[in-house]
Amino acid sequence: MRWTHYPLTLTLLLLMLLCATPTAQARIKLVTLPLRERVEIQLEHEQVTLVEEERIIPLAAGVNEIDFSWNNTAINKESIQFRAVSHPEQIKVLSVSYPPNENALVWCVSSSGDLSAKVRISYIIGGLQKSFIYKALASHDEKTLTLRQYLRLHNFSNEEYGNSGVWLGFGDYFQKQIGLNETKELLSARFDEIPIVKSYTCDPAEFDYLDRGKNQLMVPMHYVIKNTKEAGLGRFPLQPGKVRIFQDDGSGGNAFIGEDWGPFTPLDDQMRLYLGVAKDVVVKRTIKKNEQHRLLGNLFNQEIILKYEIENFKDKPVTLDIREALPYVRNESIGSRDRAVQWRLDNEQMHTDWRDTDPTRVDADTVMFHVPLPARSGEGKAEKLEFEIHLWIENEW
Amino acid sequence: MKYVLTIIVGCLCYTAAGLAQNVDLATLPGRDTVQLTIYNSEDLTLAREVRHITFKQGLNSLQFSWAGTLIDPTSVEVRFKSHADELELLDSTFPHDKREMVYWNIESKFDGVAEVEISYFTSGLSWSADYVVISDPDEKQLRIDSFIRVYNNSGEEYEDAQVRLVVGTINLVEPIAQLAQSAMDQFYGLELHFSRAEDTRNFETLARARRALDKAEAAGSVFGGGEGGRQEREKQIIKEGLSEYFIYTIEGTETIRNGWSKRMRSFGAGEVAFKVQYRYRPAEYGDQMVKMFLLRNDTESKLGTTPLPDGTVQVFRDNGRDGLSFLGQQYVKYVPIGEMIELNLGPDAQVIHQLVRQKSWRDDFWFHRAGADIYFSPTEGHRIEIDDNVVGWWDHEQWVERIRNYSGKEVNVEIRRAFDGHVEYASSLDPTLYDFRTPQITATIPAGEIKDLAYQINRAQGTLAQQYNVTIKKSE
Repeated sequence: MRWTHYPLTLTLLLLMLLCATPTAQARIKLVTLPLRERVEIQLEHEQVTLVEEERIIPLAAGVNEIDFSWNNTAINKESIQFRAVSHPEQIKVLSVSYPPNENALVWCVSSSGDLSAKVRISYIIGGLQKSFIYKALASHDEKTLTLRQYLRLHNFSNEEYGNSGVWLGFGDYFQKQIGLNETKELLSARFDEIPIVKSYTCDPAEFDYLDRGKNQLMVPMHYVIKNTKEAGLGRFPLQPGKVRIFQDDGSGGNAFIGEDWGPFTPLDDQMRLYLGVAKDVVVKRTIKKNEQHRLLGNLFNQEIILKYEIENFKDKPVTLDIREALPYVRNESIGSRDRAVQWRLDNEQMHTDWRDTDPTRVDADTVMFHVPLPARSGEGKAEKLEFEIHLWIENEW
Repeated sequence: MKYVLTIIVGCLCYTAAGLAQNVDLATLPGRDTVQLTIYNSEDLTLAREVRHITFKQGLNSLQFSWAGTLIDPTSVEVRFKSHADELELLDSTFPHDKREMVYWNIESKFDGVAEVEISYFTSGLSWSADYVVISDPDEKQLRIDSFIRVYNNSGEEYEDAQVRLVVGTINLVEPIAQLAQSAMDQFYGLELHFSRAEDTRNFETLARARRALDKAEAAGSVFGGGEGGRQEREKQIIKEGLSEYFIYTIEGTETIRNGWSKRMRSFGAGEVAFKVQYRYRPAEYGDQMVKMFLLRNDTESKLGTTPLPDGTVQVFRDNGRDGLSFLGQQYVKYVPIGEMIELNLGPDAQVIHQLVRQKSWRDDFWFHRAGADIYFSPTEGHRIEIDDNVVGWWDHEQWVERIRNYSGKEVNVEIRRAFDGHVEYASSLDPTLYDFRTPQITATIPAGEIKDLAYQINRAQGTLAQQYNVTIKKSE
């Protein structure tokens, strides 16, 4: 153990009188330097890292003074705790003293006998932080995906912890060397054969138009995975982090196809990974009908037909998710209002097979349809599909 | 060890005016005892020190100086604990050319030693409380340890001091630290100002505090025995109620060196039962559901012997693997005996809350006609003209608070969401009103289940809005 590389020092003063009458201005230090027996780094909390270290400390019968000091480390002084793991009945912390202008404290510990005590010292430390990254490898046919989650442990705490236990609060427990100023990347979880849905979505409110003049909508593509056991995930919430996405190229290698920030994904939720804009699925959206129907006084209903002309130039069928936010539609048709939108489809049976009514995906302001698009024909021609949403915005004035 | 406070006895028979030039050093009596009463609501400490001083019959001069400390000169007092009927303070003089000094002229009827108490207010000494809570792995019981920490930045060393800590709020009209920075002659104008009865609160408050402490001391309940030597067991911190205050007396004596602070355990309680509750209260905790540990400061919870002073609480959980997990840290305000202790641990990734509006619609429209003083409603059978304008209606919204419980155990949730306007809140969840605009619902969510807590909001708008409150409508 090299002194200069260990800013944390633990000193046992057997000069017991100091506890009661610390009359000396200069503090006496370094009588023994007990080694760490065990270190655990607790990363369970979202923002705070807790370090627990165990040391064997020889205690003499009577009052012992234990000096704990640290240099150039961001230890939260208020968080430091001392607990006796062995001999808890024989060891009592009488007081803790904090010297001025020093990163140090002195525990006065009484012991009922001469003994070697295992003690646990815990503290919150800055500069020892975690982040997560993911590597996703999609199969060649984009049906399944292998997801690897990596923990990156950045040790800029200015303290070397050596062989330490690392606990994330979920998943596996790790035992690793944590060196000074190093970043350790650990494979924290691996999930194979996760079914993926490759989605093509148009939603003018969220994704806007690709070409406003031609009324051509942006059609972003996503890989959608569900954090469920059925999908091979579902063991714990997925922490936020960058996801690098690769695809099996079918010839033994793989190709990088993009990256996205994966959001915090609770159990049963979807993680949607943006892949870019689809060029081969063309969607043009127009408001075919926008007509006011006066009810009483200045009260009216607005009849709206949204028309989509869709072409799939891909050589395989895909499903297009058409999503509309009703406040956006109202703004387009009659201007903005500061009240909730009251709306209904012209016929609740319209496109029933395609309509998504899952309350986890749609709410009072959203309507969504999953429209199947056939592949382009063998001659290379894409079928132009027309799709309409006929709806009413009601009780406006 | 430095002694900043000095006391010099001059056996002189001069006038006070002559003392500034003619002090003879006779003795330098050290402190016999010192007692510190430290307030945590203000930067204020009442120090009382006892010294044995030899007097000669006739006029005696005492010089008391406090260079480099933070003592309020207006508060320095001398009292004779022995020979009180043979000693009389004739006058006190604060010399113009020497700050941080007072001369006392004392008439003595005897030759000999008397016990003298000198008291003063000083700043720079303070104390705080903090707490460590460790729950068991199942979050059924916890252990709470309370600590007090005394800080000495007063510029003075206090050795073997009896330390008392006052929990409670007192009123000061001027900070002691500010008074300590002023020479006595600067108080001339101030005292004229304070001569008015309504401006004497400062001195009256402090005098009242002194009297209360005197009373407690006289009852023999405050002082522990002096114990300057080694201590091999944890010191007890005795807690007593006094008027509106609570006083913590640290057993024995303590030495707290200048610039140092010292932390001691005030009390501890194990196997304290507590409740876990998940709360959605946007006004208090922001737009998120948070996990709370709830316990009460009462005897049933193995607490309740003292109010809990303001302080930081660090909350841990025994992680069941021979270690702790950090759950959160929070500053709690003073908790009276019997009051709840509410510890906010922040959001829990295992209990997900979503607020979803499922449907919105409007009805019961009322119209206004230009030139008419009445309103018209089609539902009342009134005829509505084409130029009539909507002026009143009801908005309706169906909401669900969706709770997903992945925590592995049943959880209790409480939702307290405020609404503006004239609102009816309809739900089958037995809602209650927390206040005039805030309904509250509670529910139990079994482990692994998703529950939609549904309610409907009906809000009168325009001319129909005649209240600003929420009424509860129980629905099936």
